[in-house]
Amino acid sequence: MTTSSATHPAPVRPSQLAWLEGEVRQWQAAGLLDTAAADAIRARYVAVRRFSLVRLLLGLGACFVGVGLIWLVATNLDQLSPALRFTLVTLLWLAFTAAAEVIAGRRAHRGGEARSAVLGAARALSALSFGAVVFQAAQSLQVPAYEPRLLGVWGLGALLYAYAVAGVSPLLVGLSIGTGWFVWHVAEASNSGMGFVSAVLVGAVVATAVAVLHAAGWLPAFAEAWREVGALLVLVGLFTAALPVVTAEDFAWPVLLTIGLVVAATAAASAAALADRRGRLELLAPAAAVVAGMLLVQWDPGVTATSEVTGSAYLHAGVSVAVYLAAAGWYAVLGVLRDASRLTVLATGALVIFTTVQAFAVFAPIISGATLFLLVGAVLVGSGFAVDRGRRQLVATIEGGAA
Amino acid sequence: MSRLPSRVVRIGAVCLVQLALVGAAVAGPLSARLSGQEFLLEVGPVDPIDPFRGAYVDLDYPSLAGDASRFSGDLAPGEKGTVFIPLVRDGDRMRGGPATRTRPGRGPYLRCSDAEWRLRCGIESWFLPQSEAIGLERAVARGTAVARVKVDSRGNAALLGVEVSPGG
Repeated sequence: MTTSSATHPAPVRPSQLAWLEGEVRQWQAAGLLDTAAADAIRARYVAVRRFSLVRLLLGLGACFVGVGLIWLVATNLDQLSPALRFTLVTLLWLAFTAAAEVIAGRRAHRGGEARSAVLGAARALSALSFGAVVFQAAQSLQVPAYEPRLLGVWGLGALLYAYAVAGVSPLLVGLSIGTGWFVWHVAEASNSGMGFVSAVLVGAVVATAVAVLHAAGWLPAFAEAWREVGALLVLVGLFTAALPVVTAEDFAWPVLLTIGLVVAATAAASAAALADRRGRLELLAPAAAVVAGMLLVQWDPGVTATSEVTGSAYLHAGVSVAVYLAAAGWYAVLGVLRDASRLTVLATGALVIFTTVQAFAVFAPIISGATLFLLVGAVLVGSGFAVDRGRRQLVATIEGGAA
Repeated sequence: MSRLPSRVVRIGAVCLVQLALVGAAVAGPLSARLSGQEFLLEVGPVDPIDPFRGAYVDLDYPSLAGDASRFSGDLAPGEKGTVFIPLVRDGDRMRGGPATRTRPGRGPYLRCSDAEWRLRCGIESWFLPQSEAIGLERAVARGTAVARVKVDSRGNAALLGVEVSPGG
């Protein structure tokens, strides 16, 4: 929620300010507010048109500097000794961390809003440059390249920092890197497509459970990021599980997957105990996705060539499409329920990509050329129309219920 | 006045924990560098085609991997995980003895992993500027390079350098 003070009006979108202006006029006309109170309310907010552009520039800039720093480590500056390189990179990381806290301190002192684009960029730089410290330490000691535990340490460090400062931007860094480490480690150790799918879907349960815990009252600002990561992982996991080439062949159950399952079960149980009915409902989707995804991978339709597509393969494709439609539909609905438009966009985008891939896979062996594109196009237009109609009906139902 | 110091303490504590994590990530090679014994190992090339190859040379150790499949019988064949390779002197260099899943009673030995497609002992990458990496890679491919490594009492290894024989 946006906060403001008498000296620092809160930045809001022009559309929000226009809505507020209309409401204030109505309240004045109804005699609920006098002119002084209406002016005092207006003075608490200011329209900021280029806020999103500033966020984009700062976010992109922070990412470029962070990636550039890690690249600098990778290019192996031979003019400097390994110890000096490590010292320099560590000092840079500490400088970014200190700069972020100076900005946060000034804003807190002036009574400004706690979340700002500049502060977010500074904290993102700190989280990214911590990765450079990890890689420089490894490079200085000649630790082999492609070592997953380096990513794990980077992700864990970024998450610790994010929770210490309650910063969303380092949380995003920590979530991305931590998820990458878990999936890479499990997929590599399991030596199978089943390892990738199960790691992604177990990660989705953890992410969703933490999102529900946050929404229940513990750092609510973190709920959105965790929820979006959970949704993304479910959609990626089920997408991969639906591909007939992904099987459980040579699957070896890694220890880390057992640890992940225990963490997921504990987090989900805690979230279910603390959350409301909607929160508990939110937990069901990734839990069901784990079971559905692993069963789909286990079910080998026996496709060896596109010219030998069997009835079992069509059944596999049909069930996969039904499961994916249910998952994407749920996240589109959740986006509306939680007022999270990015979630709805993510679900719709995922559905479009999935439908395209599946449509090509199903129709390609039967038809070809222009007819194939016409049919796939018709399926896409039909899916888009159905999704949009469903979303409109849901919004109308919710608005009708609220009235 | 009391808010700023408490925030500084909290951030300082997190930075210390982050640095400890970095230390934990490189504890093995750090321990080997500080307390290990120095040895020479024969090196060989891995994969001459790597689109992501950057400022390092990927190394293989034929004299270690050669014996990695000859386990001492304490684990079923096909099982993967941590493997210990005793180091046996062979002239001025060392080579691997029969590998085992249980930690040897005495050293020197290397603690490696055969969980992936190749044996990994933590000494497979030698970082150096990209312009020099290609030359060294060619020398390794010709079989004229040896690795100088340090190994501690727990089998942790650190790569100190890759030396090319004169004329190699």
